[in-house]
Amino acid sequence: MFGIASRQTTAGVLLVLPAVAFLVVFVVYPVLDTIRLSFIAVDFATDRQQFVGLANFSHMLRDQKLGWVAANTLVWTIGSLAGQFGLGLCAALCINRDLPGMRIIRSVLLLPYVVPVIALALFWRWMLDGTYGIVSHVLQIAHLLPANQSPLALPDGATISVILANIWRGFPFVMISYWAALQGIPAEQYEAARVDGANIRQEFRYVTLPNLLDITKVMLLLRLIWTVTFFDIIWLITRGGPGGATEHWPIWIYQESMGFFRFGYGAALATTLAVILLVMCSLYLLALRRGKAA
Amino acid sequence: MKRENLILSILAYAISLALVAFIGFPLLWMVLSSIKPASELFVSPPAIWPRAVTAEWYRNVLSGSDAPRFFLNSLIVGAATTIVCLTIGSLSAYGVTRFEFPGKRLLQFGALVGYVFPAIVLFVPIYMIVNTLGLIDSYAGLVICHCILTFPFALWMLRSFFQNIPRDIDEAAWVDGASFLRTFVSIILPLALPGIIAVGIFVFVLSWNEFLFASVLMTSAESKTVPVGIAEFITSFDIRWGEIMALGTLATVPVVVLFLSIQRYFLRGVLSGAVKG
Repeated sequence: MFGIASRQTTAGVLLVLPAVAFLVVFVVYPVLDTIRLSFIAVDFATDRQQFVGLANFSHMLRDQKLGWVAANTLVWTIGSLAGQFGLGLCAALCINRDLPGMRIIRSVLLLPYVVPVIALALFWRWMLDGTYGIVSHVLQIAHLLPANQSPLALPDGATISVILANIWRGFPFVMISYWAALQGIPAEQYEAARVDGANIRQEFRYVTLPNLLDITKVMLLLRLIWTVTFFDIIWLITRGGPGGATEHWPIWIYQESMGFFRFGYGAALATTLAVILLVMCSLYLLALRRGKAA
Repeated sequence: MKRENLILSILAYAISLALVAFIGFPLLWMVLSSIKPASELFVSPPAIWPRAVTAEWYRNVLSGSDAPRFFLNSLIVGAATTIVCLTIGSLSAYGVTRFEFPGKRLLQFGALVGYVFPAIVLFVPIYMIVNTLGLIDSYAGLVICHCILTFPFALWMLRSFFQNIPRDIDEAAWVDGASFLRTFVSIILPLALPGIIAVGIFVFVLSWNEFLFASVLMTSAESKTVPVGIAEFITSFDIRWGEIMALGTLATVPVVVLFLSIQRYFLRGVLSGAVKG
């Protein structure tokens, strides 16, 4: 039987070849190119590229925007994650109960997962319209807003609005992941706890929560990356306004690159964001490993 | 214990109904707003239920604007992305689940990295590549970008579906003298079909909803996709809410229907650990 192993190797390599070629050209190369561009100034008019060393990065450190964009990014991320995880866990615990109607409720709660962000941005803006928006109207009646005022025109109101929109969109992902973990808890664990005389609160504390720990660790990492770098919602609802109040890091990258065509500077901002995320994720994974070893 | 259970059940209903209101109301409001005549749309205070129903906004966007073109463009881009992504994806999923070869782990790791890698970090060089290829404002350019976004996720999910098909089936076919390719096409693909369809619908939905690349690449009026085309309705100084809500509804309905039709497979995929937000 000459070469069944080598024929298998050949078959395997041939099968994945298109995927590898695609990933190299359109993922690996862009990653490297982002890093390269961050040391370059691109002249938009002539398309000439000039090596400028660390000038883009030192420019970033001196940029007045840096402070508040970083702060906005932090508020956006923490607010979104807290809401998504809080609501997601509550919802998962609810739909996990075997009650009539829960399947339909589960289906409804999953809808934001596929609703186009553009549609979300549109109805959010419509509900928050200063004159005809239903949510604005309720807030105005409650004297939380002046008459004919939209929350989107106020810095804090806009921040809260985009975070709420992101919670709306992102919590089903957390819910369904937690639900999958809850489904995977063996019934014996609950029975054992009951035999030991545990009440419902203790069951939750000593059976349910520990079983959700692993998925929480993974999801926290994924959601962190996706939330920090999520561009569409803020761009489509506020464009970073009013007066930069909701401008977070991705909007900054976008505006430098596509608004002012400073590709080099945009790339430096992108590289910085990627490096910060990479360092944070590495530290996080390292801490998890430490925790496991201990 | 029984009493506690009852209380918990009531609590579960209360919380989930509150959540259903939070999720459902904005969607319902969009749909209701799209069928309210101007006399009820632009009043303060707003009334919840429409007293009269109009198709005016839908008529306006469907016959008086470029909207049908946006939908056609999104359909073409979404379908092409799905086909390319599923073809490359199922070939490699078959490769990594059936064969041993050097670099296999690296490829799987690469797909995982691609799965979490944010588009905003890569979009400038990708834009430049597409520009160099002369594909700005073309379907091909956007399809490439959408494949970049969806491929790692598709590979990841397809892999889990292929893993569930026992290898014995392949080996039996090989012993009977079928080639690797023939085994793949006529035996494994049909078995993996439900999974492939589910992943395909997902890829389509992601492509349909994608905004960033589409807005940067598709610049002319004839090439705009749904999200980009609709986004221009809000940036114009005269915001036509009736038309906008009709467009929002039209953009949402197809993906919601698709999603509900594959929810069973989606939940199965979730239970085997593959989701993307």
